[in-house]
Amino acid sequence: MVEKKIKTFYDVVCPFCGTLCDDLEVDIDVKENKVIEMRNSCQIGTKKFFSSNPGSHRYLKPRIKDNGSYREVSWDEALDKAADILIKAKRPLLYGFSSTECDAQSRGVELAEILGAILDNTASVCHGPSLLAIQDVGAPLSTLGEYKNRADLVIFWGSNPVHAHPRHLGRYSEFVRGYFRTDGRNDRFIIVVDPRNTHTAQIADLYIRVNPNEDYELLNAIRATLRGTEIDEKEVSGVSKEQIQELVKILREAKFGVIFFGMGLTQTLAHHRNIDTAICLVRELNDYTKFLLCPMRGHYNVAGANQVFTWNTGYAYSIDFSRGYARYNPGEFSSVDLLMKDEVDASLIVASDPASNFPAASVKNMFKHPLISIEPHETPTSAFADVILPAAFAGIECEGTAYRMDKVPIRLRKVKDAPGECLSDKEILERLIEKVKHKLGD
Amino acid sequence: MAEIKLKLKKKPSFPLEVDSITPDNFVGKTAAEIKKLEIYHGKDLVKLGDFFDVSGKSTDLKETTIIIDGDVSRAKRVGENMTGGEIIINSDVGMHVGNQMKGGKITVNGNADDWAGAMMEGGELIINGDAGHYIGSAYRGFWQGMKSGIIRVKGKVGNESMLWAKSSKPSNKWPTLYCGSAGAFLGIHNHGGTIVVEGDVDRCTGADQAWGTIVIKGKISRILPSYKKMGQVDEVELPNGEKIVGKFIEYSGDHSVNKETNGRIYIAV
Repeated sequence: MVEKKIKTFYDVVCPFCGTLCDDLEVDIDVKENKVIEMRNSCQIGTKKFFSSNPGSHRYLKPRIKDNGSYREVSWDEALDKAADILIKAKRPLLYGFSSTECDAQSRGVELAEILGAILDNTASVCHGPSLLAIQDVGAPLSTLGEYKNRADLVIFWGSNPVHAHPRHLGRYSEFVRGYFRTDGRNDRFIIVVDPRNTHTAQIADLYIRVNPNEDYELLNAIRATLRGTEIDEKEVSGVSKEQIQELVKILREAKFGVIFFGMGLTQTLAHHRNIDTAICLVRELNDYTKFLLCPMRGHYNVAGANQVFTWNTGYAYSIDFSRGYARYNPGEFSSVDLLMKDEVDASLIVASDPASNFPAASVKNMFKHPLISIEPHETPTSAFADVILPAAFAGIECEGTAYRMDKVPIRLRKVKDAPGECLSDKEILERLIEKVKHKLGD
Repeated sequence: MAEIKLKLKKKPSFPLEVDSITPDNFVGKTAAEIKKLEIYHGKDLVKLGDFFDVSGKSTDLKETTIIIDGDVSRAKRVGENMTGGEIIINSDVGMHVGNQMKGGKITVNGNADDWAGAMMEGGELIINGDAGHYIGSAYRGFWQGMKSGIIRVKGKVGNESMLWAKSSKPSNKWPTLYCGSAGAFLGIHNHGGTIVVEGDVDRCTGADQAWGTIVIKGKISRILPSYKKMGQVDEVELPNGEKIVGKFIEYSGDHSVNKETNGRIYIAV
């Protein structure tokens, strides 16, 4: 009998972006333990699956830095050193968690509580402002299925799904046929608001070019016009008064509208206040028609990190356990602010790469102190770590749960084994908790 | 008059959380007892005496004055929840100074960090330097911020000061901020707060203001499109009865909240 070399997995969930597509087909070379072919996935998702294949970029065994060079060690030795670093630290930071599954995130909360540490996830530098705004003024949200089946007006504000969430348009928001949108793209009016004429803007029905960092004023003018006030200015943020009036007419006459917003709103000047006023606009539009909004979450499980942290501590990110109980205050306990002020004396980074996207000054401060990295492959962060704990890719090499951008939990699947001695993030954190507890005499 | 002097004796390696430094906590205590009060250094619970020299003693809350010397720019939460007495800080001070204070007086002879006077309910906070962001504002997720009391800042205040300030006419409570100049989003979500700025302000002043009064004696970088020009006035009367004489242009808003509004911004001609 011929040995079966290739195994195909159907309906695999893609652990890359917040869209969490659940219809991927993956061919695995069983003997070599490699991904050899992908179907249905977008470019970035495909790349992630292929990057899990064994190669020089993957860590196979735990490593410890000794006198500037790395040596491979046993799990016991590496975890021992990691536990020592964390226990010795007076203000340790646990950061990341957005590209791993919910069980691992939950263990992260447990470890932070034991250590009296700062606990933060990547929402701190992406959709954290959305959460702040939601806490201030609430938010009318829904699941993606509702938008797909009902929305006849779709607005992308400061987001570019063609590149960041490639299959979002095809699955939920633009081309897909829905229950009440039987003609797909022709049944929807697409508006893109962006300073740049992005590829998403190029396939929209209406493109509104807003001046960079002036979204707040534009949203404010739209709200005032909607409330029946004629604005004094002829032009707001590069958009004429007539165009604003025309836009308000379109918004009011829609049957079911949705605003998908991204980093273009949350990480430009005014940050959470952009979302604040966008939510207020949506709230006011519900006086005339049905309107909702949805954050375009980046990491596949950053929504999950917020959920898990919230059900464990009451807060979604920027949590401080230094007084034994959870406290929350972005700006005071958020990782970038703490690192900028050099108030962190050891960091544990889980499934994330702050060195690539934090301000240089804060990364410099992070590298000054002991750094532990739980990471499947080499990143600019792990390259400077004192202890590297090799992890399996969640959703490819181990199972777990992840939350889609609309907060729907989806079970991730395992399609192949992890190379070398890699363990799942959950198991690594469990072992680390055990070590820490043992050393603290619990 | 009971004076208690605190002097920082060593620089903390992490921010101190000194919410126990309030006249309320010190009243009736000797220096030795005050030294035993608990403060946080990073995640360690330590004694106040580990970081501060203490002298003097306190008898009556009204008469108690705490004088803090040494660089306490990394000491957070001085005067949290205080209800009376006085604190004088002769240096820069860390975050949350005088947060939720209900009475008494705090004077900072230096700069204050973020959240100074956050959610104040009474008393007076004087900052003779600059102040950080979120001065007199609501904490995350609260819909009612500063409810009463006065904050006076000689220099600049940062962004989003007086967020969700809330006045009450029946109980005659008028939260008020006087400052030299201000950053962006001054008085956002204002529900009756009064703000007087001697100098210039940045963008989005009075955003989402439901009602309240903002007087700007300098320039504004850009007024929000949802504000409507009403005309010129020669005098502005604040809700607390104070009158400011000068030529101002009166704007009403924020009209994005309601078509009819009692919110006003006065900008010097």
